[in-house]
Parts: sequence; C-alpha cells; structure tokens
Amino acid sequence: MSEARLADTGVPAGSSGAAALTLAGVCAAIGAEALWCPAPDVAAAGVVAADLMSDVLVDARPGFVLVTGLVNVQVIRTAAIADLAAVVFARGKAVPPDVLDLARQMSVPVFACPDSLFETAGRLYAAIGGGRAQPGAGRPA
Amino acid sequence: MTEAEFVRAYEIVGADFTNAGRASTSIKETLKNMGLASALIRRVAIAAYEAEMNTVMYARRATMTLHVTPADVTIDVQDEGPGIPDIQLAMQEGYSTATAAMREMGFGAGMGLPNIRRNADQFAITSEVNRGTALVMTVHVG
Repeated sequence: MSEARLADTGVPAGSSGAAALTLAGVCAAIGAEALWCPAPDVAAAGVVAADLMSDVLVDARPGFVLVTGLVNVQVIRTAAIADLAAVVFARGKAVPPDVLDLARQMSVPVFACPDSLFETAGRLYAAIGGGRAQPGAGRPA
Repeated sequence: MTEAEFVRAYEIVGADFTNAGRASTSIKETLKNMGLASALIRRVAIAAYEAEMNTVMYARRATMTLHVTPADVTIDVQDEGPGIPDIQLAMQEGYSTATAAMREMGFGAGMGLPNIRRNADQFAITSEVNRGTALVMTVHVG
C-alpha cells in the first residue's frame, strides 16, 4: 500500500471504556498517510511519543505505536527490536528512501503525519481512550 | 562448546551509525528461530541493542558474543575504547556524556546502561580507562 489514506477508524464502541485501535484507526485519527502498511487491521496496544530512542526502549510495550519527530534508520531498528506495531513520523518531515526500505525489510509499518508531535500524540491519546501509555510502562517489574 | 550450547560472535565498528543495530537484529532473529519466548527475546534484543549503540557511540570497536544454553541467554560485549572512569555515575539514569550528534541519532539519553541492567537477570560491567569496557548480561530461560 502506498500513499493511501485509510478510511476506517477501527475504533469499536467498546463497553469497557478503553477503545481498541487498529493501525487503520491510528491512520484515520491523525489524518496520516500510510507509507507502508500491509496489514491495517493489526491492533495498536498503546502509543509512545518520543524523539529519544533510548526512552522508547524503556517506555514502550510490545504492540505500541511510536510517534516521533526523529527520522532516521535507528527509529525503524528501535521499533523492530522493541516489537512495536508501527511508526508515525510527525511534523510533516520527509521520509528518506533508505528509512522506508529498511521499514519494509524489517516489516515495520510506517505512517507520515503533517501535524506536530504534540498534536499527533494528543489525537491518538483521545482516540485510544487515554491512560494506556504511561511512562515506564514497559519496564520489567 | 557442547551440543547444548550455541555461540555466535559479532564484530561492531565504532562510529558506524549506518550499520548500528544489525548485530542485535541478527541476535533477535537467531533467538526467534530457536523458538524462545517472545518476552525473553525482547529483553535480550533491547539489552543487546543498547550495548551495540553504546559501542558505536563511544568505542573504537567491540566483539559482541551471543551464548545460548537451555538455561540462559548471555550477551558478552568486550570493547576497545576510552573506558568508563566512574561506572557508578554511568549507571545513573539520565547521566550521559553523549554529544549533540549522538542525540540527533536518538540516543545518548543516559538510559542505556540502566536499561541493560533492567532487562537482564544478571549484569556485570568492568572498565579500564583508555583500554575498554567489558559487559556481560544474562537472561534466564523459563
């Protein structure tokens, strides 16, 4: 899939209060462009927003979506190492071909969003029902 | 090396940001192919990746060795580099001597060594200034 906007919000009217979100839902909630997303129905377990990959490696749980303003190959490697569901590059930054190539190679879905990290993270926080991505949540007990 | 032990060594080159993370990715794939639990693999992969990034950022070179037995997965990193003058200080969360260039890559938050220790069941680090640093971390299987 390239340059397609995913329409389905993927947000069911769950009775538990916390909405389950798919990658398609993530894409729709923030008006992102799917640069590479072969499986839009994959669930997003939560969201982590950071520019320091060291912080991502501490805070993210498996299946989280990473929202970042940093664009380089280490973002993709970090996502793959930490079993993240997808990467959203915020701030409308151009995603270089080597980053996209590595994302495909490592099976990391990638989205691009024109808005700031703050706005993008805020929309996802609202879409996901909040409270799922606490700092340090990924730290082993 | 017994039949029950698997050993593979990786050479890591300092300042090679293009390939940084390849060894850890290979380690993760190797452990996946062995059929180990995904939570265990993730802990080992994160610890290995942090150690690999430390080498790329600070050392001239290093050998990272993966040892797998039925009981444990161990990552052993021996680097040649400036060493760490005060290990206790380096183990504090947020303490970092990273340069602006390292931070632009998304690393150097002062979380690397603490995060390695957090993901390991056993962790040991020794260092000699102007010689290098040796780091051994073990995660128990099961």
